Amino acid sequence: MKLDLGNPAWRNTLPSTRSVVSDAPVAACAFSRDGATVGFGLGDGQVRLLPTDIKQPASAVAEPVHKGAVLSLIGDPLGDGFVSGGDDGRLVRVALGGGATEIAHQKGKWIDKLAGHRATGAIAASVGKMALVVDKAGDVREFGPHQSSVAALDFSKDGSRIAAAHYDGITVWSIGPSGTAVTLPPRRFAWRGSHVALKWSTDGKFIATGTQENDIHVWRIAQATDMRMQGYPAKVKSLSWSADARWLYTASQPVFTAWPFAGKGPEGKPPLQFGEEGAGLLTVVAAHPTAEYVAGGYDSGELQVGDIKTRRSAVLKMANGAAITCLAWSPDGASIAAGNDTGDMLVIDLRR
Amino acid sequence: MALIASKSAQVPVTVLTGYLGAGKTTLLNRILSEQHGKKYAVIVNEFGELGVDNDLVVNADEEVFEMNNGCICCTVRGDLIRIIEGLMKRKDKFDGILVETTGLADPGPVAQTFFTDDDVKAKTRLDAIVTVVDAKHFLGQLGQGTEAQEQVAFADVILLNKTDLVSATDLEKVEAKIKAINPYARIHKTEKSKIQLDAILDKGAFDLKRILEFEPDFLEHGHDHNHEEEVKSLSITSDRPVDTDKFQKWMGAILQIKGPDIFRSKGILSIDGAPRRYVYQGVHMMMDADWGTPWKPGEKRASKLVFIGRNLDGDNLKRGFEDCLK
Repeated sequence: MKLDLGNPAWRNTLPSTRSVVSDAPVAACAFSRDGATVGFGLGDGQVRLLPTDIKQPASAVAEPVHKGAVLSLIGDPLGDGFVSGGDDGRLVRVALGGGATEIAHQKGKWIDKLAGHRATGAIAASVGKMALVVDKAGDVREFGPHQSSVAALDFSKDGSRIAAAHYDGITVWSIGPSGTAVTLPPRRFAWRGSHVALKWSTDGKFIATGTQENDIHVWRIAQATDMRMQGYPAKVKSLSWSADARWLYTASQPVFTAWPFAGKGPEGKPPLQFGEEGAGLLTVVAAHPTAEYVAGGYDSGELQVGDIKTRRSAVLKMANGAAITCLAWSPDGASIAAGNDTGDMLVIDLRR
Repeated sequence: MALIASKSAQVPVTVLTGYLGAGKTTLLNRILSEQHGKKYAVIVNEFGELGVDNDLVVNADEEVFEMNNGCICCTVRGDLIRIIEGLMKRKDKFDGILVETTGLADPGPVAQTFFTDDDVKAKTRLDAIVTVVDAKHFLGQLGQGTEAQEQVAFADVILLNKTDLVSATDLEKVEAKIKAINPYARIHKTEKSKIQLDAILDKGAFDLKRILEFEPDFLEHGHDHNHEEEVKSLSITSDRPVDTDKFQKWMGAILQIKGPDIFRSKGILSIDGAPRRYVYQGVHMMMDADWGTPWKPGEKRASKLVFIGRNLDGDNLKRGFEDCLK
């Protein structure tokens, strides 16, 4: 779907939005694999499901899936439901009807971050110093321990490897075939400091991290060379690669900020910054699943969508003081879901 | 409309340190099991140690890392940043968070986490470093390593515990030793870690500016005691006004070089031409500063600096500070 941000409609009116309020912060949001449902992980342990079509009636409040807070949520790579992780140590598969099945339970630990891989149906979860991988057959394998807790993880493009971020660098593991205990030795990529965010590029060639020192670090996997982007005023907790892997979008700036990875890469070049300056700093960025658009949420609560080709942006939601905590695109790129730290769940229809 | 000053929304965090067996676990168990109408999250190192199964208890691994900024004492607890971020996602808010450090841990990295991370600073504030001291074994522990001494040096509040196990004379000796290391910490004498929780939690004991609002002569309490101590406090006073530019340069340089040895620093400055006191407090190289209460008309203006640390060179510090005076 094409977004014509030059159309005056984008300047004059906000897009059609469903807003549902919870009294717990929204920790994570995601679309289901088929795009028909949005899931929101809440601080009271609920996974709230809403239809992507905002004209359909909203579902009722659900039973809590976790005892404490939901910490992470992804669309289930194996079906049209969701997978959530919580501070009760449980990794749970949430069916569309609301039924929950436990995949793993690590008492006294937190299931902190999740990643899913659609083609292989695998799920990766960070649990303390370990990374868990649950494959299509339900086989759970552990990778680690890493030198510190795993702060973020992601699958490679083909799903054959996972990368985990921790202190002083990242570790890349080959997952290997289902049911085997044999693990190839991991590859370590070192850079001092604490790495708090990680995204594998959509072409599989790069891994980008955000560090505690407000930098971004990017490794070229094949050559094991690395680069560093500095000058951010805050930690960059959100990174997103464009669908064509030509751009790395980064949060912690007042406008959309994209590092160029086409051709020789970004070394020695400034990033492309575009769009209207928003209120505050971007807390979350998410690239469109197929096209040249990007969505961004601010610490002020503002939401914008940008077009890197025309370098325009449009406001999706005005600032209200509640920081945006999560952001997701529907698979068809026609809807955006977002949540904030005071409990607003938004589903935005971008069709004009 | 009535004007009401409400408490800031930041959750107070208490760092609980103390040598092995001093009584930290007893205190934490009391905090978790007693009916006090408050909700505290407790971050511990060893899950099993606490006898209670409570979802307010979070297990941490004391993961310390060095900031990649060229500062050798800028060590931070990354696990704490992540845990606090996670706790803030919960629906139910906390009246306070307690962070236990292992008996042999340096409280520096925990304290420094609250200076370093913007998200942690936005949601929480360091309320106090509370050190539990074993009255019976403290003097012996001093000989076994640097930890017992450093934990006292870092403290804002000290629970001098197990007082029932020592004679009055021995207790006096222990107290004198504590005061020789750190005369600015408030000492509570306890048996079996029994204390009114509101005497130690949410008192703002770390924040010198807040203390001074209630106790303007707080820094006058301490006198430098025994100059033979390896870890001790040292104070410098002057009634001449301070030149801020010179002071900042000097303090920056001192902390750059001596940061690892300076556990705590705090001070009130009479800045040349400023109507208010300038108040600061620091842990190793990290420092927070703010304007405090105004000087009253006719009040005698004076500056006082306090350092608590290892191998402090008093003469050198005094000379350096004098160069910052008008």
